[in-house]
Amino acid sequence: MNNAIKRQLKRSAKRSSLYIVLAGIAFIIIFPIFFLFSFSFMSDYETYSEWPKPLIPSFKANFMIDKNSEGYHLLIFNKSEDKYMPFGPLVFTNSQEDIDNLRKFIKLQSNSKITSQKIMEYLKIVDSKSRVEFSIKKDLLANYILFFQVVNGAPKAVLNSLMVAGATILISLTIGGMGGYAFARYFFKGKNILKLSVLFVRMFPAVSLAIPMVIILAKMGLYDQPLGLSLVYSVGQISMSIWITASVFMAIPVSLEEAAMIFGTTRAGAFLHVTLPLALPGLAASAMYSFIGSWNEVIAAVVLTQFNPTFPVVVYKALVGSQGQINLITAGSVAQALPAIIFTLIIRKYIIQMWGGVKV
Amino acid sequence: MVPYLLIAPVVIYYSIFWLFPVLNAIIESFRNVDGIWTVSNYIHIFKDPVFYQALSNTAFIVIFSVTIEFILAFGLALLINTKFRGSSMFLFLAMIPMSLPAVAVGAMWSSGLATRGWLNSFLMTFGFIDDASKILFLAGGKMSTMLLIIIIDAWTVIPFVMIILLAGLQGIGEDVREAGAIFGGTKFQILRKITIPMLKPTITTAMILRIISAIQIWLIIVLLYGFNRLPVLLEQVVLNYDQLGAEYFERIGLALSVLVAIIVSAAAVLYLKVSGSFEKEVKQDE
Amino acid sequence: MRKVLITLVMLSLLTTGFLFAGGKTETDANAPTSLVVSSRLWSPAAEQKFLYDEVFPEFEKENNVVVKFEILDDTVLLKRAKLQAETGRVTTDVVIVHNGVMDQWISNNYVEELPVSDWKGRTFSAAFMDSITSGGKTYFAPVGGDVYLLLANKKALKYLPAGVDVQDITWEQYVDWAVAIADGEGEGKTAVTGVPMKSLIYMYGGMFLSYGGEFPVINSPGAIEGWKLLTKLHKAYSPTVMTYDNVTAPMKSGETWLTVAHMARTGEAYRSNPSNYVIAKAPKGPKGIGSIAGVSGFGIPVGAENRDLALKFIEFMTRPDIAVKVARGTGGFLPPIDEAIAVLGDSPVDEVIKKGVMVLQTGVVSGVPGSAYTSWGAVKQVYDDVFAEMIIGTGVFDKALLDAAQAKLEALKK
Repeated sequence: MNNAIKRQLKRSAKRSSLYIVLAGIAFIIIFPIFFLFSFSFMSDYETYSEWPKPLIPSFKANFMIDKNSEGYHLLIFNKSEDKYMPFGPLVFTNSQEDIDNLRKFIKLQSNSKITSQKIMEYLKIVDSKSRVEFSIKKDLLANYILFFQVVNGAPKAVLNSLMVAGATILISLTIGGMGGYAFARYFFKGKNILKLSVLFVRMFPAVSLAIPMVIILAKMGLYDQPLGLSLVYSVGQISMSIWITASVFMAIPVSLEEAAMIFGTTRAGAFLHVTLPLALPGLAASAMYSFIGSWNEVIAAVVLTQFNPTFPVVVYKALVGSQGQINLITAGSVAQALPAIIFTLIIRKYIIQMWGGVKV
Repeated sequence: MVPYLLIAPVVIYYSIFWLFPVLNAIIESFRNVDGIWTVSNYIHIFKDPVFYQALSNTAFIVIFSVTIEFILAFGLALLINTKFRGSSMFLFLAMIPMSLPAVAVGAMWSSGLATRGWLNSFLMTFGFIDDASKILFLAGGKMSTMLLIIIIDAWTVIPFVMIILLAGLQGIGEDVREAGAIFGGTKFQILRKITIPMLKPTITTAMILRIISAIQIWLIIVLLYGFNRLPVLLEQVVLNYDQLGAEYFERIGLALSVLVAIIVSAAAVLYLKVSGSFEKEVKQDE
Repeated sequence: MRKVLITLVMLSLLTTGFLFAGGKTETDANAPTSLVVSSRLWSPAAEQKFLYDEVFPEFEKENNVVVKFEILDDTVLLKRAKLQAETGRVTTDVVIVHNGVMDQWISNNYVEELPVSDWKGRTFSAAFMDSITSGGKTYFAPVGGDVYLLLANKKALKYLPAGVDVQDITWEQYVDWAVAIADGEGEGKTAVTGVPMKSLIYMYGGMFLSYGGEFPVINSPGAIEGWKLLTKLHKAYSPTVMTYDNVTAPMKSGETWLTVAHMARTGEAYRSNPSNYVIAKAPKGPKGIGSIAGVSGFGIPVGAENRDLALKFIEFMTRPDIAVKVARGTGGFLPPIDEAIAVLGDSPVDEVIKKGVMVLQTGVVSGVPGSAYTSWGAVKQVYDDVFAEMIIGTGVFDKALLDAAQAKLEALKK
């Protein structure tokens, strides 16, 4: 009795310490990514003019307009300073041009939309009461909207990217998987040297090969073809696939295949029904690396494409000049990262096999 | 015959798309701007003190980052492989850092580590620091800069190592370890006597792939500090070959690439020798 | 087993075949019906949007084309030019490149000569002529000129030495001001681009001009005066100045309060909240205001598919009225065309451009002699290294270091 309680206590202590560790790891992973997302919903003013910066985006912006002998002034509420701070032009009048510029400024810097008429109305209140305070709902998606307005042909680029990634997976998994199986299951002359030289492909810095490689492709008529890109990406991916699949095939005991063959299957049948399912996690991992590698690659793609850019290329073109607008960059980053994250969400199922060992 | 057939596509593929550029790069690294055969590009590199800095910085980063990453990734893989409730979701979470594009990683850390970045903002909001005691993450000396790079790099690539190990663990199967437990092995004994030996090929793969890419670390350094502030090998290749925009430096970049390839292969062979992967393979096969 | 094997081999061969075939058919579908403009200029998202919305439509309507505008940096543009020249598939119609690399475009025969004399009603500003011409021929039509301006956060004004006018400040006063801010605030709050191979050379080189220096000589008497003064900024620069690849972000966040920088960068911070900043001409020295004047240029790649349209496009974009419109809309660059500057000079519309025009017209201005050196990037690094060692590192003036740096510059000369 006493022992049973002890054991149970011990088990629950073990379990809670496991979940504490897990929570800690999860925190470390999520912490930086959280800010990436959070900034992408903030306005320029929120990300730059507050110190400390807000940790979560606000849903509205508060403004005040007052006036003195020179004209009207716009102020915005700054949370970290806990007061209204000057915002926009030093001074403005109620001319149509000034109001129009003010409207644009408010939208651009605080992601809040207001009509010119509304501003006019507020100015009338200021005239009678000397000041007016008002709040405008913030457009949370404003950065994404601007980003997609600047990005040219995003849907087509996403499609191109998916094609490139798909072809890269196909090429590197078939060619690499075959090689991997050979290295795992057969003994032949020059195996170690061959296996090492396959790896040498990843050892030579890719940056100094990209252009010559691209020129070869261009001469083959594959310039600006999304699928030509996958041939470039496959170079590095094949070698990785070979090593990963080889190690996975090696970890699967040959005896399992042999056992299956005793029960009357051919070698190919044994491979398909026994080895392949067991190797699936390795193949999935290798496919995932191919996907992520080609989805995120930009250095070769930016040179090799023109009318058929991949998504990272259009993202790069949209963001390369926006170093001073971290909110916009984070929005673009999130847009580019999401498909890869979704892909990992799908593929994780195959990496971790809940059914455990295989029954022959 | 069969194994050669299986490997033939790889060989064909590489001879079309890869071999020619590499041979060309190697040849061009031994010629100067006027096309005359020379080793002057290599002499330039060996005379340049920046090369030796790059070499030692790279060595430091590789040794520490690969060790740390392997230990943490292995722990994480074993943890996820216990298949607790929610382990599948946890795996997904652990994989996210790896899938982020460079633009996201750069934006995340440069906006986080800046003096008025989110990290200081977070600490300040929760009262750990105040404006006067804010931390200057990016203004540190060389040692702290390298540690910072190692931490950021680990954050990004641990999932990469972890997944290869996890995939290998899946192949071992629960029954083998159960057998070990029946014979009275403790968890640690099972890990040491059964799991690790069976996982050996996978560990070798994960380590070798990781060592190769760790030696070629450069992008995160350039994103945070620019070129030449913390010289590492591949950053020097990119700088010379890609950024300086002159044929003279391009050739130096090519020569550096050849040197990097030699260094990486030496490290790989050394690792394979030390870990005994070579001999074991042969013994197993014979 | 053999069957599986053969199937796999066939499959991979088929896949490869399919890829090649698929590639070929798509080539035909992409018949160029559009004018491709690849530019390093106007890269911020808002500027790209402005061009799409308010500039290109007029040209597109007049000529029945679609302008495909894309941003690429100079290194990529050059790489692509090399690729397109080597494979004979020139699909870019117009490039816009920086004057630091124009020489590479001209000497590699990537761009053709422009018939500038055919275009009426415009005079390209003299300050930029050296960059865009070679051997008496004009290869680029200038666009988006820039000079260096001073930007200060209003919080810094309380440290401004008594009697000093921000709009008419000397370098000595600027340095005193920066030091006073650092002393008062307990931390350096002045910014430059400390990340190598960016614009530090222009920030410092412009200052040396105001002391009679010659760009990019690093140890001329004028430059020595300048370096001596700059060493005082040792503690006045922000502690993380070495990681600034652009002064916009630290100036916007209030991490720094004071800078002299490229007018597009200072302009971007200024326009994010004009009531928060003071913008002024760059500080002056004994010889007046010194500034490096950068410029970009329109060029037409040799063999461009839509050459005639490209010429029309450049003619359109360099029309003074369009140049003014673009300069105002993208805010931060000067139109390098005299007729356009004349319109802008007295216009109060854009504070930033106005200050820039003043620097250009009254200052000691130098272009970027990129063509005189094998690698302009390597020249920049010489300045970056001296900055890291002498200004940030020791803070002590070191003539020997400058002489060694000058020797490196000499070695980089063609």
